[in-house]
Amino acid sequence: MREQWAEAATGLVVILVAAVFLVYSLTVGGVGRKAGSYDVTARFGQVGALAPGAAVSVAGVKVGTVSEIRLDPKTFLAVTKLSLDPSVKLPADSTAKITSDSLLGGAHIAIAPGGAMEDLKPGSEIENTQGSVDLFGLIGQFLRPQSGQGAAGNAAAADAATSAPAPASQAAAAGNAAALPDF
Amino acid sequence: MSETTLASPAVLAPLRLLGRSTLSALRRVGSVAHFAARGVAAAATPPWFAGQLRRQLAAVGYFSLPVVGLTAVFTGAALALNIYTGGGRFNAEQVMPQIVALGITRELAPVLAALMLAGRVSAAIAAELGAMRATEQIDAMQTLSTDPFRYLVAPRLVAGVVMLPLLTVVADLIGVAGGWLVATRVLHFNPTVYIRNTMSFLQGWDVGSGLVKAAVFGFIVTLMGCFHGYNAKGGARGVGQATTHAVVSASVLVFAADYLLTSFFAHT
Amino acid sequence: MSTVPKLAWKGVHKRFEGAPVLDGLDLAVEAGRSLVIIGGSGQGKSVTLKVALGLMAPDAGEIALDGQDLVGLRGAARSKLFSRFGMLFQGAALFDSLSVWENVAFRLINADGVKRPAARQRAIEALERVRLGGEVADLYPGELSGGMQKRVGLARAVVATPEIIFFDEPTTGLDPITAAAINDLIVEQVRRLGCTAVSITHDLASARTIGDEIAMLNKGRIIWRGTPAELDRTDDPRVRQFVDGRPDGPLTDRR
Repeated sequence: MREQWAEAATGLVVILVAAVFLVYSLTVGGVGRKAGSYDVTARFGQVGALAPGAAVSVAGVKVGTVSEIRLDPKTFLAVTKLSLDPSVKLPADSTAKITSDSLLGGAHIAIAPGGAMEDLKPGSEIENTQGSVDLFGLIGQFLRPQSGQGAAGNAAAADAATSAPAPASQAAAAGNAAALPDF
Repeated sequence: MSETTLASPAVLAPLRLLGRSTLSALRRVGSVAHFAARGVAAAATPPWFAGQLRRQLAAVGYFSLPVVGLTAVFTGAALALNIYTGGGRFNAEQVMPQIVALGITRELAPVLAALMLAGRVSAAIAAELGAMRATEQIDAMQTLSTDPFRYLVAPRLVAGVVMLPLLTVVADLIGVAGGWLVATRVLHFNPTVYIRNTMSFLQGWDVGSGLVKAAVFGFIVTLMGCFHGYNAKGGARGVGQATTHAVVSASVLVFAADYLLTSFFAHT
Repeated sequence: MSTVPKLAWKGVHKRFEGAPVLDGLDLAVEAGRSLVIIGGSGQGKSVTLKVALGLMAPDAGEIALDGQDLVGLRGAARSKLFSRFGMLFQGAALFDSLSVWENVAFRLINADGVKRPAARQRAIEALERVRLGGEVADLYPGELSGGMQKRVGLARAVVATPEIIFFDEPTTGLDPITAAAINDLIVEQVRRLGCTAVSITHDLASARTIGDEIAMLNKGRIIWRGTPAELDRTDDPRVRQFVDGRPDGPLTDRR
């Protein structure tokens, strides 16, 4: 009989572990916000593989997380909310860029600080943004040049993405997005 | 009267053997099918024995949790490491969470849980029913106006079909948790990103197809235990043989059914 | 005989893997009488009982209960039939996972829909009738001796007052004192219920005690029938060999 109790107890432990993990997974969307962290927003033409929970970094150091991504129904831009470490103050003209660790994933936001005297206030918006670049779309553009499709500045990735295979089109561009507009 | 060489014993004997084995294999398949049909009929129509069903649900389901949990966590962890290595060859380590989750929910959780149950539950059922057969308890039950299919077999079949999907849900969660643990502690993945990527990638039918498989496997595992135990012949040796046959046939049928179901679901 | 026998085997044939076990068995027992079937091991005694009970189907022949053929009955009809029979199996065949009273009351709870408290009460009464006290009611079969298990098995067989009781080797494996006690209980219960009894045994002392009539089974047929007194006086060489317990004789001669 004691064996039965030991087994019953272990069974209970297993269920509890599974339940805890489930609850954790489901609530992860309300991503860990550090106490006192402040929010800023940034709008992008294309967020690519960026997902809530992704890191926000400055000079490669994580300073916050992406807490929300939603679509603005009027301008059709992706509005992201960045939850930043209160001890990090950024100049008001900083640039937010969506970049990734590798060809296929790890999308996060890198902030390049600007030179303004004032700091970004909580609730304000980062004006300069660069969305994720669709590498395959750009290659396609290069191979079949189309008029009126620049890849500079804030512009979204080309819709020539339709020629790219589905998983690849989700891929954020590798490395240094600033070089690509030279194509 | 001269016999043609075609009809000589040397030629006929192997053919006869082939014929006999084929017929006996067919007979075996037929008797399993007949047994399954009787079991399903007994489960589908009243009277039911709720007390027996409750006991079997606990025995098949709840008490299998430890072994299923252990299987799942180690499988998930090992799978994560392997997929990470493989993904690294394409510079695609970052999709590891998604691939691991897909592999677990569609294939590994239902199949491994079913195999663990084949060893544990199928053997136990075969031994119990086999011992009852050997001591004439099944005959006695019939003389007491109680259909052994309703009292013994149907509760076990229902318990298998109901419980293995539930066990698979637990295995899914714990398997992904195992992968997550390895990914975050050893491979330095971002914990929340891992979960988020997994959740947004997984589709309902990934988990659902795994549960459908689990229900089929649950039926197979309990059916084999019941069939071999109920028909055990001879004394202790017969019971031992019944147990072995139950485990082996349950495992083989699980693999066969897995292949069939996977190819059926592969494009859904 | 103008009365219909309670139970009759008519031309029953049964083969196992090609070898005949019952080879044209004809036997009948009148209502309220106790018939004992004797014979050597492997002569088909158990099969005779199982065919009569319906646990096995004969290859040919008829089993008539009150004149009605039972062979081929299925489902609800077969179930009703079982409620008219009781059987004490050779090893008692008690259910290991249930307590003694749950064993005795098994039919009441699972087939007759009697509620557990009432069933327990009737089970305890039945146990008392086989001289077992209420303290065994909550024990498990594994905790009982062979003799006690047989008594519980007997209680289970008679709790629902059957019309016919079958006994499969009731005293085999018991010491002489316990065997005598079981024989007495069988006689007492059969008389109390006024039912018909069919037993198989190779224990002649038991046969003489519990049987009104004795029939000998050899090579799948009945070769002799009579009262216990006639058994001791008979000239039939085969019966003589069995009764006297001689290793050599017509029963064991290979032909």
